[in-house]
Amino acid sequence: MGTDKTKERSTILIVDDFEMNREMLSEILKDDYNTLEAADGAEAVAVLKEHEHDIDLVLLDIVMPGMDGFEVLSIMNRYNWIEYIPVIMISSEGDFSYIKKAYDLGATDYIRRPYQSYTIHRRIGNTLMLYNKQKRLLKIVEEQVYAKEKDNRMMINILGHIVEFRNGESGMRVHHIQTITKLLLRSLVKKTDKYELTDNDILQIITASALHDIGKISIDDKILNKPGKLTPEEFAIMKTHAAVGAEILKGLPVYQDKGLVHVAYQICRWHHERYDGRGYPDGLKGEEIPISAQVVSLADVYDALTSERCYKKAFSHEKAMDMILGGECGAFNPLLLECLKELGSKGIAAALDADARGDMDDQLLMRVTEELIENKISDSSSHSSQLFEEEHSKRMFFTEDKREIQFEYDSRVKTIVLSPYGAKFLGAENSVVYADQIKNELLGEKCEALKNALHSTTPEKPEIEPMNEVLTYNGRTRSYVIKAMSLWSNESEPKYIGALGRIIDVTDGMK
Amino acid sequence: MTIEECYTKFGGNYSGVLGRLGSEALIKRFLGKFLNDESYANIFKNLESGNNEEAFRAAHTLKGICQNLGFDKLFVSANTVTEALRNGKNDVNDEMLAALKADYELTTEAIKSL
Repeated sequence: MGTDKTKERSTILIVDDFEMNREMLSEILKDDYNTLEAADGAEAVAVLKEHEHDIDLVLLDIVMPGMDGFEVLSIMNRYNWIEYIPVIMISSEGDFSYIKKAYDLGATDYIRRPYQSYTIHRRIGNTLMLYNKQKRLLKIVEEQVYAKEKDNRMMINILGHIVEFRNGESGMRVHHIQTITKLLLRSLVKKTDKYELTDNDILQIITASALHDIGKISIDDKILNKPGKLTPEEFAIMKTHAAVGAEILKGLPVYQDKGLVHVAYQICRWHHERYDGRGYPDGLKGEEIPISAQVVSLADVYDALTSERCYKKAFSHEKAMDMILGGECGAFNPLLLECLKELGSKGIAAALDADARGDMDDQLLMRVTEELIENKISDSSSHSSQLFEEEHSKRMFFTEDKREIQFEYDSRVKTIVLSPYGAKFLGAENSVVYADQIKNELLGEKCEALKNALHSTTPEKPEIEPMNEVLTYNGRTRSYVIKAMSLWSNESEPKYIGALGRIIDVTDGMK
Repeated sequence: MTIEECYTKFGGNYSGVLGRLGSEALIKRFLGKFLNDESYANIFKNLESGNNEEAFRAAHTLKGICQNLGFDKLFVSANTVTEALRNGKNDVNDEMLAALKADYELTTEAIKSL
């Protein structure tokens, strides 16, 4: 079938409970494709979960024990895989109801046994060609959206820079504030989820931070660039820049519904508010101040202290931190101060350095672009937010400690996924293990108790009471603590969708 | 005996399987595997223990192999048994099983003498 040798080989997942069928297809396809095999529906789902982005096509049998081909198709719909991984059914079933059901569930093609190897090759080739074309087009669109977003950000940065330039600032000020804002936000979302910041929100705050001082275009040069201390009258005029900046944005005849303008408005108006309520222009207090403005405010103060100004020299990181923590430069959200403290002099310096070279949050922008396109193309937004939630719970629940067995249970597809260490510890090759196979190896008869404990949790209080158990792995009996939390769907009536668990060896810690 | 002669002996479709697999060597490999396959035995085992669903799966698998390997004669009797077991029922009679047994033995004997 002469594939172009320079092209990357496509990978095909062959799902059939009968080994001979898999082998036959593998033999037929091996000259032109990479093949993976799964012996039943559950294993297919596990392989898909792990190799989601590497599999180009699935050959799927229908009649299989446990989870059959139709159920695999349903799950592929649920996870949205069916959108970009074509499925060709191969079955000896000629009954029309089977064929119709397969197509209705999203199968691309239906090949009946006995097949000819030539036909198989042609049909796979045609399907891959169509999907690859679509993938290439998607990539082009993605690149264009990305380039456009990047241009937009550049324009905003130029605008921000114009204001700073008039102020006699160095060209790096806009970049500095964006970088510190980014660092603070990143460390903030690791600490708390109470502000519900998405990647897109973070990107908007970073972008809009460039505009925080646009109100200064209304301030007289003489006041703006006065080397000495301002008189009370001059200072009162200076202070109007916050409200003026916000007014400029509010006066825009269009774009009011755009998130970026909204965020920029918050930042312009409230970046001189204080957490204790003694700031200006509105005297907002604590969390009344939008988080966007809180973060940019702290970034602004830190950068002002550590940079040279017409009226002062640059302070060291340590001196600046002393002044900020000592309350000499305003009052801030304690959580944000903690973030700043943890970043430290080195963390900030390294990031400023990297961003000066121009690789400012490209990854973040790329992620947001991808998300944008994905949501436009399919209605997967609820699904991605579900995954995001799960990812988030996972990050919060699992520790970095590689020496404990960590696992995830997905009750929808009945799979347990072990952490790499856990899998190695239990002698599994793969980090994905089918639930019914590992159940007893992992927890023995304790499995039932853990399941019961998980089932009696609620979405509000998902964690179980830690269980102290003596378990034997690889012939070594030791004491373990099992910690676990249940996962719930984000529907109005949450459903139990699985769990996260940690099995921690505590033998050495005991007297 | 050549593989083609063997196919003639047990009522198989040699040109069909050659079109499917492309080489004699591969056909021979899969014929060898067929001898070790347990689907046939599983039909009887599960019928005895009354597990109709498993018996159906075993018959269905055997039928699939017959299609793959071009065992046309054995396919007919395997297919009859499969249909008699579809949807959890058990309409299998002795006549069907006898035909299946005869065709299976004919096929395996021929392959063994290769």
